[in-house]
Amino acid sequence: MSEEKQVVLRTDHLKSFYVLDMQGTRKIVKAVNDVTLEIYEDEIYGIAGESGCGKTTLLKTLFNEIVPPQRLIDGKLYYRINSEEVDVTTLSAEEKRRLRMEYISYIPQGSMSVFNPVIKIKGTYEDFIGSHVDGKNREEIFRIARERILELGLPKNVLDVYPHQLSGGMRQRVTIALAASLDPRIMIGDEPTTALDVVVQRGVIQMLKDIQKKLKNTIIMVTHDMGVHANVADRIGIMYAGKIVEEAPTETIFEEPRHPYTQFLINSLPKFGDKSTRESVPGSPPSLADLPTGCPFHPRCPHVKDICRQQMPETTQLDKNHKVACWLVEEA
Amino acid sequence: MTFVKRYLIPRLIQYFLVIWLGITVVFFIPRLTPNDPVMKMIDQMRARGSTLEPGAMDDIIEDLTQMYGLEGSWGEQYVDFWARLVQGDFGVSFFQFPARVNDLIAVALPWTLGLLLTATAISWTIGNITGGLAGYYTRKRWSKALDAVAMVIRPLPYYVFAFILLLLFAYVVRWFPITGGASLGAIPTFSWDYIKDVLWHSFLPGLSLVVLGGAVNFQIMKLLVQNVNAESYVQYAKLGGVTEDRIVGKYIIRNAMLPQITGLALSLGQIFSGALITEIVFGYPGLGMLLFRAIANGDYNLIMGITILSIVGITTAILILDLTYPLFDPRVRYT
Repeated sequence: MSEEKQVVLRTDHLKSFYVLDMQGTRKIVKAVNDVTLEIYEDEIYGIAGESGCGKTTLLKTLFNEIVPPQRLIDGKLYYRINSEEVDVTTLSAEEKRRLRMEYISYIPQGSMSVFNPVIKIKGTYEDFIGSHVDGKNREEIFRIARERILELGLPKNVLDVYPHQLSGGMRQRVTIALAASLDPRIMIGDEPTTALDVVVQRGVIQMLKDIQKKLKNTIIMVTHDMGVHANVADRIGIMYAGKIVEEAPTETIFEEPRHPYTQFLINSLPKFGDKSTRESVPGSPPSLADLPTGCPFHPRCPHVKDICRQQMPETTQLDKNHKVACWLVEEA
Repeated sequence: MTFVKRYLIPRLIQYFLVIWLGITVVFFIPRLTPNDPVMKMIDQMRARGSTLEPGAMDDIIEDLTQMYGLEGSWGEQYVDFWARLVQGDFGVSFFQFPARVNDLIAVALPWTLGLLLTATAISWTIGNITGGLAGYYTRKRWSKALDAVAMVIRPLPYYVFAFILLLLFAYVVRWFPITGGASLGAIPTFSWDYIKDVLWHSFLPGLSLVVLGGAVNFQIMKLLVQNVNAESYVQYAKLGGVTEDRIVGKYIIRNAMLPQITGLALSLGQIFSGALITEIVFGYPGLGMLLFRAIANGDYNLIMGITILSIVGITTAILILDLTYPLFDPRVRYT
């Protein structure tokens, strides 16, 4: 990367836990545990990891949507709004609401019933856009909606149908078009391609890329599908047990993964012409409520050493864009 | 036109079939009970002290059987019964002879309709509004307080609750009358005095229905709202920064209302069977009371008259509900 990119979203040792009270005993689920991220303008950032590693909680936290029993324990979350860095966790509820759609928008998994079943899609548009642009009447709102819908190659009549009349793929595309309606600087996608067949997946991926190219904004996307990441993301963060254990440009992650967990993830992917048996990560992910001491990956790591069992490694900057948190790297 | 052919006509056929079946069952059931209305009448005459010659007795039995329309086999009676019914004639009452069933119902119906329509409307509206708000603001103190109140009232058996009200407000502190639908001797007119009198008499029975019915509606609506609040489309709207009034009105209430609309239609249909316990406890002159006496006396015609009214009421309410439901929920369509 030759030119220095502006940071649009930055977190500083972010910790967000679920504090559950179960019949008197307190249970703490460390879903986001000390995450420091810098996400740039004009890029697609992918977050990858197994089920239950805290991906969705991290997204919700980045989206500044922290509702009990989830709590922000420590750390800071900054958005860059009008070339000024703002600590958004201190904003009032109304200020947070205002930022949604206009500055940062959310793309849900469209296969779920994300649209109000009793109103037409245009009703949903009216609510989502009408809650943010003041003093515009329905016609203007629909004009904004129709423009984006046509730009993205969706049929114009999607506005006039009820959600149950759309296919899963179409619903997913509508959520993406809706998220892009007000030209937000950041779009956050929670598994937007999951539960779709590969043909539809390809269309959805293309659509995300088109929007990003046009708006030159940032897309942060979570999925467990490394194939999708390879296609879409500029940079990838690998998440394990609430921590980002490795972060690098997509090519580096696939070519030279350094963390043993990332290596397992990459090596388990099928390749053309290679018929050898793929190896998966041994064991299963730890419970976020009961993490092992030291590096949370040590019980599953083939290169485990004494220090791994005692202490969490610091994040090492291998080069400008490649960061990894592992004792193997630290000591080398 | 596919709607008429594929949905409406079969639905109407079903409607009439259900009514026919219900009425037929109602025709035969009283005839299967050990109550013989003719013998009952004679017992009553004996109880009053009149002695009868055996010959005169047979004559009376014959006369009564004829007047009650109980001549011939059940098949013949059934045909006769339908012949009268299609003309809207329910026949004569056995025990308030020679009053016509139609007239007896016409006297009792306005009392029941007035009381139950008002009570149902009020308890449904209040229960849903408070339940909806309490379900959305579960963490607020007033919400928990309302919930606690509903939790205490709801499990009370209705007749116990009604008796408590009656004892407290009509006997201990005599704010309300202990029985009746209006003061004795009051002449039904549209004057303010008469209306005031009716309202005063109906207050306690109405209150008992509103409080218990309202508590039920409150609890159901609260649960519904809590469930809808957790739906993905509500969560998504929150993530999209949709304003709270829109989320509450268009997303939560609108969806949570759907089962409650069904509930309202059903309870409106049930009005025609009267409110038996209410009317007995408060001595209210409605359909429930009439039906109770009819059953106790084996008054076939009166039983049938009231039950037919109730069968038609409920089936019609369900028919109307079915036909209008697509207006509330677009996922339901008939084509």
